Amino acid sequence: MFVDLSTIGLVWPEFILILIAAWIYVGGTLAPGRTTWNVLAWSTYLVVFLVMLKNERALWHDVAAGLVAINGPLIVDYLGQVSRYGCLLLGLLITMIASRAGAERLATEVSGTIMMLVAGLMLVCRANELVFLFVALELISVPTYVLLFLGRADRASGEATVKYFFLSLIASAMLLYGMSTLYGVADGTTVISGTAEVPGIRGALDRLPAGHTSLFLIGWVMVVCGLGFKIAAVPFHFYAPDVYEGTTNINAGLLAVAPKVAGILALIRLVLAVVPADAAWGWPLMWVLAMLTMTWGNVCALWQQNLRRLMAFSSVAHAGYMLIGFTVALVAPAAGGVGATLLYLTVYALAGLGVFAALAYLSDERHEVDGVAELAGLARSHPWVAGALAFCLFSLAGIPPLAGFWGKLALFTGAVRVVLAGDGGVSSWLLVLAVTGVLNAVIAAAYYLRVIGVMYFTAPVTRVAAPGGMGAMLGTLACTLLVLVLSVWPGLAFRMADAADPLLRQARPAVVAAWRMEASAAFAHDGDLAGRWQKGGD
Amino acid sequence: MTTGHLLVSTILVPLVGAGLLCGLSRLGRSVVRRTALGVTLVTFTLTCVLVARFPADGVVGDGFGVTTWAWFGAEAPWNIRLSVGLDGLGLWLFALSSLLMCTAVLVSWESIDRDEPLFYAMLLLLEAGCLGVFAARDIILFYICFEFTLIPLFFLIGIWGSEQRQYAARKFFVYTLAGSLLTFLSLLAVVFWVAQHTGRLTFSIPELTASLRTHPLQPVSWQLAVFAGLFAGFAIKVPLFPLHTWLPLAHVQAPTAGSVFLAGILLKIGTYGFVRFNMAMLPDATAMCMPVMLWLAVAGILYGALVALAQRDMKRLIAYSSVSHLGYCMLGLFALNRLGMQGGTLQMINHGISTGALFGLIGMLYDRYHTREIRQLGGLARRLPWLACFMLVFTLSSIGLPGLNGFPGEFLVLLGMFQRAWGDAPVVESGQLHVISVLAVSGVVLGAWYMLWLVQRVFFGPLREPRAAAAHPITDLKRHELAALAPLAALVVWIGMHPAFFLQRMAPTLDGVTAVTQESLRNRAGSVARMPGAPEPDVAQVVRQEGSTRVR
Repeated sequence: MFVDLSTIGLVWPEFILILIAAWIYVGGTLAPGRTTWNVLAWSTYLVVFLVMLKNERALWHDVAAGLVAINGPLIVDYLGQVSRYGCLLLGLLITMIASRAGAERLATEVSGTIMMLVAGLMLVCRANELVFLFVALELISVPTYVLLFLGRADRASGEATVKYFFLSLIASAMLLYGMSTLYGVADGTTVISGTAEVPGIRGALDRLPAGHTSLFLIGWVMVVCGLGFKIAAVPFHFYAPDVYEGTTNINAGLLAVAPKVAGILALIRLVLAVVPADAAWGWPLMWVLAMLTMTWGNVCALWQQNLRRLMAFSSVAHAGYMLIGFTVALVAPAAGGVGATLLYLTVYALAGLGVFAALAYLSDERHEVDGVAELAGLARSHPWVAGALAFCLFSLAGIPPLAGFWGKLALFTGAVRVVLAGDGGVSSWLLVLAVTGVLNAVIAAAYYLRVIGVMYFTAPVTRVAAPGGMGAMLGTLACTLLVLVLSVWPGLAFRMADAADPLLRQARPAVVAAWRMEASAAFAHDGDLAGRWQKGGD
Repeated sequence: MTTGHLLVSTILVPLVGAGLLCGLSRLGRSVVRRTALGVTLVTFTLTCVLVARFPADGVVGDGFGVTTWAWFGAEAPWNIRLSVGLDGLGLWLFALSSLLMCTAVLVSWESIDRDEPLFYAMLLLLEAGCLGVFAARDIILFYICFEFTLIPLFFLIGIWGSEQRQYAARKFFVYTLAGSLLTFLSLLAVVFWVAQHTGRLTFSIPELTASLRTHPLQPVSWQLAVFAGLFAGFAIKVPLFPLHTWLPLAHVQAPTAGSVFLAGILLKIGTYGFVRFNMAMLPDATAMCMPVMLWLAVAGILYGALVALAQRDMKRLIAYSSVSHLGYCMLGLFALNRLGMQGGTLQMINHGISTGALFGLIGMLYDRYHTREIRQLGGLARRLPWLACFMLVFTLSSIGLPGLNGFPGEFLVLLGMFQRAWGDAPVVESGQLHVISVLAVSGVVLGAWYMLWLVQRVFFGPLREPRAAAAHPITDLKRHELAALAPLAALVVWIGMHPAFFLQRMAPTLDGVTAVTQESLRNRAGSVARMPGAPEPDVAQVVRQEGSTRVR
């Protein structure tokens, strides 16, 4: 591993975000006030987004052609590139929604901490080294603890925060334990996907004599457990309902999205990358996790009367769907399981954030909207919020033609392809998984419809004020619009998800072969930054 | 305007209309309902032009008015397209959808008195979804329209329904979704089976059907599994006994327009799906499942009829009669021969017209008396002569009086069934097929019984009205109600007198399906059941003979 100026050049946006976040912290004590700092935060995301877009045009061109570069602890590929922009967008949306979060005097802490978290997310997108990945994940966890504390000043909130804090620590410890086991087994390499000169974990394992499998398996399972906490997979989901219920709607939205994005990306980068192509032990674990997670999440959500508990269990269930993609990817790398998961993640994140944004719009620090019953008659009192909420809920339920359907289409396509490939036992297991998946979608529809029914079919009980402010409204609107765009024009998202699938990339020999010629061209206009192209993925 | 553009605009007009109505939400009730009526009338006019342009012999080759846009980008591996086109099977259901929506708007004219813009917008969305289902040539587009219809109907039942509307709306949605998601898996399986064996990923329904003829889904156990998945969605939609339990609840709770459209069109999506996918794509499994399907169909006929006999609520009675009538459609279709297939398809149209109208009439009675209890009403023919007259016409149409539309449909269905049982049955099952045919005929008697009994109790005998009704004057049919019923009545007579006009246009498409299933049936029987080359009886000829008998 070799870090030089070009590495720094690749992560400048993250640096800028952290610097501005620090500035917001410090500046907030000198010149308190919400609006100024919020505007600064919004414009930072926007400016960084636009400057990245302008500066990285050549990089985009190269990674879109399927190139992969290893640079220091970073891997530069299409997945990393796309997801970084996605994370920036997410940061913009969350900051918008949280523009009235917390007490007035702590307002800058909220926007600064969110910015730290976004920087962490962006680093996870391209992490290719164990320590770097862990630090990046912690850069997400630590701000989350702070945000949870900032959310509300009552006992429930305190309990939720402490619960999250300790469980998250245990999960991090498990992750670290797994990582160190992998490090030990893989002959002391910390690089995840390696090159010819610098072997990755997979490459190192291949070079070792046989007999390390069991230890490797322990490390791998530990990593899956640690990351399973991040995506709230059963049985690591226990914190989710309590923490969501105890915190604000805004924080619940953040918890439903940010750790999940990080966890899924880390699973793709670490867990999938180190599994041998012919391993028969990877998918059963994912299969069991997927089955448990989606069924348990959905069934528990059926009985919830608290909106945030309901959404917590629903977010657990969605993690289960995404694990279907991983199962498929582990059985048949070329079936597009990872791409499907990424598409599903995008759609889920937008719709889920939309739901919480709408709830945040209906709440403020004096009163959070809690019960499903509080939404009664919302279609009359706030038709647009009810419309947006219903739209996002229908999308989460996966009713066509809304975006959630496209996510489910991609996931189940992968499963069906594996089933049809007809590999005896695997095929029937995957069939069971697919059928359980669609039946789960029905259960999910039942509780989403309950919420929609309360909004549309019942008369208002209490008057719902909407003190959440302009930011939350804009956030709701933006999420709904993005879901709408994805519903109507899904083609681009599908292509991007497929292109971002690292396993598909490896399965596409033509692209890898075309690499050398393109790389020299990239060198010509990108100078030093992209100069050290290496063929990735061993 | 080319036919393709015409077809696309027919589907888009209600969509645009729905958007318009949401925008008009501040305007008064009369503007809103007039706009809605205008939109449905435009759609209906466009549909009439389409029907007029449809070749009279029904031979459309690759489809009629085919228009295709790449949805996911032309070069994408995901070749999902926005592709529409009509053929003999879809044409009449497409036309019926746009006609019944005019009826649905007219029957809601005065009965809907809150949130009208949303109500009519939902109706128009429902119409667009149904038009899309019958015109879709892309399997994913079909599925999208198929599922999308649930959303507007969920709101229609849940917001404007009767007392138990919330429960009914959710039960309807979840029940239907459960089946259709399994259908979704099966559709994906079909697509990827073909992709594996032809090396080309296509979502086009005609291409898939053609490919499955040369590379049928093998082994047969897989075909049966895919059949079962498709069955789950379509049988719930039909609804086939014993998966019908959502239907009476949804019908009774839905507003009149919802019931009209639910009975008239949405149930037909199930039967349509059986023909389009199960029969055309999985002929071997269809041949194997034929006896089971016929048993289910006949069970539905008898069960629906017997339960209808016991009903006290008029709307429930008609809902159960739907179960019975849809049993006839399925019986005809799964007779898997030319007569039965055409009869089943014609019966879909007939049921849509007559049951749609019956639900409309019961809604009109409910608007006047605020009750649907049979016991509370009696002798209304004296009070409401025109309403009674229409009721009688549609009742007679529903029980299959010769000269009205029910007759050719039911007759062809039974003829097809008898031909299957005695004419060209595979040897093994002929015993049970005989029993099924005889039982199916007895359903006709039961159908006449419960319908005529209903008319007798409600419209004849001494006048009996609920006391509360005396408060306001009871008037006979108003202009908009007349306008809702008259076209349907005209169609009842037209189909009854000249079914060939309708049969000719659907025949070639249905023959294509029949040819495939016949071959599978023969293969299954192990030997050629009929003499090779012996022609099947010509339907037009049968109809002609039947017409001449009637004239005599």
